[in-house]
Amino acid sequence: MLNGINIIPLLFLLPAGLCILLILFRSRVLNAVSLLLYPVVYLAGTVKLYLYPEAGSPYFQSDPLNLFFMFVLGIVFFTVTLYHIRYLRHSKALIMRQTVHVILFLLFVVCMTGVLLSQHLGLLWVFVEATTLISAPLISYEKSKSSLEATWKYIFICSIGISLAFVGIILLTLSGGPNNSLFFSDLYRNASLFSLFWLKLSLPFILIGFGTKMGLAPVHAWLPDAHSEAPSPVSAMLSGTLLNTALFAILKINKIMQLAGLGTYSHVLFLLMGFMSIFVSAVFILRTNNYKRMLAYSSIENMGIITIAMALGGAGAFAGFLHIAAHSFSKVLLFLTAGNILHQYNTKEVSRVEGILRQDKMTGWLWIMGFIFIAGFPPGPGFISEILMVKSFLNMKYIVLMALFVLLLTFIIFGLARTIFKMSFGQGPVRPAGKKYAVLEYLPQIILIIVLAVIGIFMPDIIYRLIQGALGCI
Amino acid sequence: MINFLLVIFVISMLYAATTSRMEANVKVLSIQGVLFFLMVLPNFSHIPFSDFLFLCTETLVVKTILIPLILMYIIRKNKAYREVEPYIPGFYSMVITAVLFVFGFIMAYYAGRVSHDVKPLYFGISMSVIMTGLFIIMSRKKIITHIMGYMFMENGIFLLSLSVAREMPLIVNLGILLDIFVGVFILVVFYNKLRSAFESEKMNIDKLDYLKD
Repeated sequence: MLNGINIIPLLFLLPAGLCILLILFRSRVLNAVSLLLYPVVYLAGTVKLYLYPEAGSPYFQSDPLNLFFMFVLGIVFFTVTLYHIRYLRHSKALIMRQTVHVILFLLFVVCMTGVLLSQHLGLLWVFVEATTLISAPLISYEKSKSSLEATWKYIFICSIGISLAFVGIILLTLSGGPNNSLFFSDLYRNASLFSLFWLKLSLPFILIGFGTKMGLAPVHAWLPDAHSEAPSPVSAMLSGTLLNTALFAILKINKIMQLAGLGTYSHVLFLLMGFMSIFVSAVFILRTNNYKRMLAYSSIENMGIITIAMALGGAGAFAGFLHIAAHSFSKVLLFLTAGNILHQYNTKEVSRVEGILRQDKMTGWLWIMGFIFIAGFPPGPGFISEILMVKSFLNMKYIVLMALFVLLLTFIIFGLARTIFKMSFGQGPVRPAGKKYAVLEYLPQIILIIVLAVIGIFMPDIIYRLIQGALGCI
Repeated sequence: MINFLLVIFVISMLYAATTSRMEANVKVLSIQGVLFFLMVLPNFSHIPFSDFLFLCTETLVVKTILIPLILMYIIRKNKAYREVEPYIPGFYSMVITAVLFVFGFIMAYYAGRVSHDVKPLYFGISMSVIMTGLFIIMSRKKIITHIMGYMFMENGIFLLSLSVAREMPLIVNLGILLDIFVGVFILVVFYNKLRSAFESEKMNIDKLDYLKD
C-alpha cells in the first residue's frame, strides 16, 4: 500500500494534518491516537526509505547518514509516545493545554526530521533554530517557577548559540568564493577549493553554536536545567533525539573540513570539546543531588564520548555511531523510569528516595538495567563501542588520552552507581496496597531493553550495514 | 555614503552599550533598522526583485517597526524604564565597547588582506557588533536588556550577511526571518510568564537561581 506514496512529503504533511484535526476536535482520544499514529508511520516510512530510496526534492533527500539518525529517532519517538500517552492521561491540565502540548510534540519531531533530511546548510540552520523555539513550551508544561526558569535559560542560551552558528555559516559562505551555493552536494564538491582562512575561522563558531544545542562543555549550561525540569517524556526526547540532531549538523559540516584538508584542525577541536564535556560531567555527576540532573550530566558525558569517537575516525567513528544508538536508547530508558520514580515519590532529590525495589519491583529493576546499559557494561552496545574506542586510542598511540578517558569514565560510572544503587535498595516506604501501575509505565522501557540487548549481543547485520552506510557519508 | 552609514551604526552601538535607559535602547534598534534599509537600497539594481522586496520588508517592517514595538510594549507594560545597577558601570562599558571596535577594525584589516570576497569595513564592524551584543548580555542584569542584547547580536549578523556578496535562496531567507521573529516573540511571551511567576515587577537574572548544583 505504501508503494505509491512518497515518504518524505508524508513525514511532513501527516503531522500537519493531524495538528489541524487536533485543533478542531480537541479530544483526549484523538491526542492519543495521533501520538501513536505518527511514530508508527515514521518508523514504517524510514524502513521504506531505507529499502527503496526515493529521489526527493533538491532540499530534502534521504541518504544513509540521515537514515541512521532517523531510525534512532523513530524508535525513541515510538517508545516515548507510548509512555507519553499515560503521562497525559494522568495530567490534570486543561484539554486545550494538552492538545497544544501534543501538537508541539509532533511539530518538534517534524523539525528534527527537517534537520536530518535537509540538503541545504541554510535550511538546516532554520530547522535547528525551529527545534529550539518549538520545544521551549514543552519544557515548561508543568508551569512551576523552576521549569519557567529552565525554559528561559534553554531558549535564550540556545538562541544565542544558534546565532553564533549562523555567523559560522556566513563565514563558510565567504570561504567558498564567488560561485558556491550552500547545498551540501556543492559544498562537498568544491571543498578542496575553499579558502582555508575563512574555513578555519568558521569552524569554532559552528562548533560553539551547534555544540550549545548538543550540550558540549563549556556551552552546556542549559542542558541540566532543561532536562531536569521538563516532563519526563520530554526530557527523554531532548536527550535521546535533539542532541543527536545537533550532532548530525556538526558531522555534516565536519565533512567539509575533512575534504578541505582541515581534518587535523577539526580533530583537535573535537577532542578538546569532547574531553571538556566528559570532565565537566564527571565533576557534576559526583556532586548533584537530583537524579534527573544526574541523567542530564550523563548525556553531556555521552555527547563528549561520541564527539571524541568521531574525532578518532575509522573504527572509532564506527564506535561513535554505535554509541549514538546505545546512548539514545539507554538514556530514554532511564528518563522514562525516572518519570515513574518521580510519579511515585514526588521528589527529584536523591537523598529522599530509597528502596525503589521494595516500593515497585519493576521500576527498580528497570532503573538498574538502565544503569547497566548506560555505564557500558555487557551485554549493552555501549560496551562494544567503548572497547572499540579504547582500541582506536591505542591504534593512534594516544596513550595519555586513553588513560584520561578511562579514568574519567570510571569516576562517572562510580557516581552513577552510587546514586542508582542507593535509590534502588534500602528501606523504602512499602507499596500502598491495591495501587495499580499501568502497563504503559513499563512497556516502553522493556522494548528499549530488548532493542539494546539485541544490538549488544547479536549485532544484527542490518545495524552493521546501517552504520557502515552512515560511515560512508561522513 | 555607505561608510557614513556604517559610522552612524558604530556610534549608535556605542550609545546602546553605555545607556541604561531601556527606551533609548529600543530606539537605537529601530534606527539601526532604518540604517540597514539605507544600506540595502543601493543594491536595487544588482539583485532579483523578490530578494530586494524581501530585504526591504525585513529591514523596514520587521527590524524598524515590529520588533521595537513589541519591546516597547513590554517595557511600558512592566514599567521597566531603567537598567538596575549593571555589573560594569557605564563608563567602563564604553571603554570595553571601544576596545571591541578597535579589535574589529584589526580583524577587518587582516580579512581585507587575505580575501577579496568580503568588504573589510562591513566585516570588522559586524564582528564587533556581535561581540558588543554578547557583552551587553553578559554585563546587564535585567532580562529585557538581555533580549535587546540578543537583537543587537542579530543586527550584527545581518550586517555580516550584507558583507557577503551573495544571497541565500529566498526560501531560506524567509525561514531565517521567521525564526528570528518568532524567537523574539517567544522570548517576550516567556518574559511575561516569568514575571508573573516570580511576582516581580523588575525582573532580573539574580532571581533566576533556583536551578544550580
